Amino acid sequence: MKSTNLTTKAIFLSVTVLLAAGSSFAGDIKGKVSVQGLKSAANIAVYVDTIPDKKFDAPSQHVVVDQKKMEFIPRVVVVLQGTTVDFTNSDPVGHNVYWPSISGNKKLTHNLGTWPKGEKKSFQFNDPGVASLLCNVHPEMSGYIIVATTPYFAITDKDGNYEIKNVPAGKYTLKAWSEDGKPVTQAVEVSASGATADLTVKK
Amino acid sequence: MNRSRNFTLKKALVVVLLGVLAVLTLLVVAPDGKAIPAFSRKYGTSCTTCHSNYPELNDFGEAFKKNGFKFPKDDETFVKQDPVMLGSKAQKEAFPEAVYPGQIPGTIPISFRYSGFFNWNAHQPTAAVQPNGPYPFVARTDLFAPNTFTIISAGSFGDNLSFWIDDDISTGGSGAAGGLGDGYLKYNDLGRFFHLPTNALNVRFGQFELDLPFTQARTIYLSDFDIYDQVSVAANGGTTNNPFSLGAPQRAIEFGGYPNNGNFAWSVAIVNGANDSPALRGQKDVYARVSYKFNLERDPESRHAIQAAGPTGPRDHTSIRVGGFYYYGTNVQNNGSTIPVPFPGGLSVKEPFYRVGGDLRFKYRKLELLGLGMVGHDSNHAFDTEALTFTGIHPVTFTGGFVAGNYWFYPWLIGTMRYDFVNSPSDFQNGISEHRTRNRVSPGFQILVRANVKIAGEYQYHWAQPVTPLDPATTFFRPHTFVTGIDYSF
Repeated sequence: MKSTNLTTKAIFLSVTVLLAAGSSFAGDIKGKVSVQGLKSAANIAVYVDTIPDKKFDAPSQHVVVDQKKMEFIPRVVVVLQGTTVDFTNSDPVGHNVYWPSISGNKKLTHNLGTWPKGEKKSFQFNDPGVASLLCNVHPEMSGYIIVATTPYFAITDKDGNYEIKNVPAGKYTLKAWSEDGKPVTQAVEVSASGATADLTVKK
Repeated sequence: MNRSRNFTLKKALVVVLLGVLAVLTLLVVAPDGKAIPAFSRKYGTSCTTCHSNYPELNDFGEAFKKNGFKFPKDDETFVKQDPVMLGSKAQKEAFPEAVYPGQIPGTIPISFRYSGFFNWNAHQPTAAVQPNGPYPFVARTDLFAPNTFTIISAGSFGDNLSFWIDDDISTGGSGAAGGLGDGYLKYNDLGRFFHLPTNALNVRFGQFELDLPFTQARTIYLSDFDIYDQVSVAANGGTTNNPFSLGAPQRAIEFGGYPNNGNFAWSVAIVNGANDSPALRGQKDVYARVSYKFNLERDPESRHAIQAAGPTGPRDHTSIRVGGFYYYGTNVQNNGSTIPVPFPGGLSVKEPFYRVGGDLRFKYRKLELLGLGMVGHDSNHAFDTEALTFTGIHPVTFTGGFVAGNYWFYPWLIGTMRYDFVNSPSDFQNGISEHRTRNRVSPGFQILVRANVKIAGEYQYHWAQPVTPLDPATTFFRPHTFVTGIDYSF
């Protein structure tokens, strides 16, 4: 009886240690996105695709997309599925925000209406995919919201560099989305020291 | 007759179907329209920011124009092309010891506009085209006529000065008119020196279309408003021969304003007059207009904003605008000079005239209704060739106007309908029309293939004109016309 208890405790302790060790096996995925046929490697979204049997709670903090000088700022943003985005208006003209579809699904179209400077409208993005942000009266305005199913994502800088932090060790599928280029998919294995994944986006 | 009519109808149907096919092709395969006019370039924004159906302005475009071609609020924050400063702002304090500082656009603000149309005309009766027939031959169809290429330059020279120049530079080719349209300089908010409300008093001078209720120079329609083009010519031996038409550009100095950029607008212009030829007289004409726009938006915030807050985006305010206008001038005939004179003896006759009318415009969501009525009155005389005297006789008068409606089925597809009417007893007496009143119905369409490329069409169902001089055997025909073609700016 005494030995059984000890064994149970040892197993329990081992599992606990292993779990704790597993959670500390998280690294950063870094890399550089190169482009072929595109003007710039900036503003390309890089994110970890859906992890089977893994769900993530949406953050309570909202993401802000502003409209200023007739531009969406930031132009490209990635959010976790379920995140609420606040659309603010910093221009002295009325703006509106709508998207005709999410990843081509026109049933998911939505129009937030019109609001003046200083006000905001919010929307919770529960459907994964890409929403092209448009303004009905200023058709040159363009923005994008990529709704990801994992919280592991980043946007490239002007040189195409990106860094996704604290990705648990494991094997994943990395995806890259750009406004004018074709989607890219690449497998990546993250260890305790992280991983490096360079991608090439083509027109 | 019936067979001929069926044949012409079939031809018209073929033309329409070909046109629809061309439109669909253009919508699908036309390259992305990156080409943009001067203001689009300056602000990096689409034509549709200011135009609901170019060149027609939406509420924001009207505010932009009223503000001297600048964004109504915080203009500097929207400018993508920095102007060239002709002196730092601090130079204002140095004035008059220094030239007051101004600015010019960073890049030359030039735009171009081309329009070319296909005409289909009703068959002319044989009697009309005989060597002694009353009308010149009109081809059944004519490609790209009129064919117009216009250069436009406009912008601001800093806070208060703005300018506009447009010139039809296609002086050759079919249907080209050539010549300066508008060319003026405007000073905004002159009234601030007299402590008047903002933009209560502005002034512009040069050559321009008067402050008409509805612009003809920048209309969306493919044909002029008949009442605007109406001139006064006496019949039965009268002397009236007035070339003045309300729609033509005038050389003038105009004072006007819209206090606090509100709904009331006024203008008074001193006009050179006699637009068709040099004015052989010293006196000037005068034109005045007042209008008020009743903003019918219920939401106060929306009512006071430049554009209303629609459920799918900013839109024009629901509104009714009413106005009135009055033009008074003097047509002088036989005033010497080198032109042939109709009256011997070195005499001249001054014939005062006026045009007076009212207008209404209603806007509601995708619908726009327009209406205008006008009365024209010219003094008239009889000339005694033996006594060499002028005697006042019955004046030459006319009335008329138009009603029109436009509907935006989609932001890029607009249907138009217009009814013109002109009641001119002297036109009837001069054998120009079958009846005293000329009526015309003009249904049409406008398709914005891109924000700066348009395909437009209009069918003009005309009044009857006499083929033979008025007598018991006079016959009439209706010179119907179908016009369709392309229009693009860059």
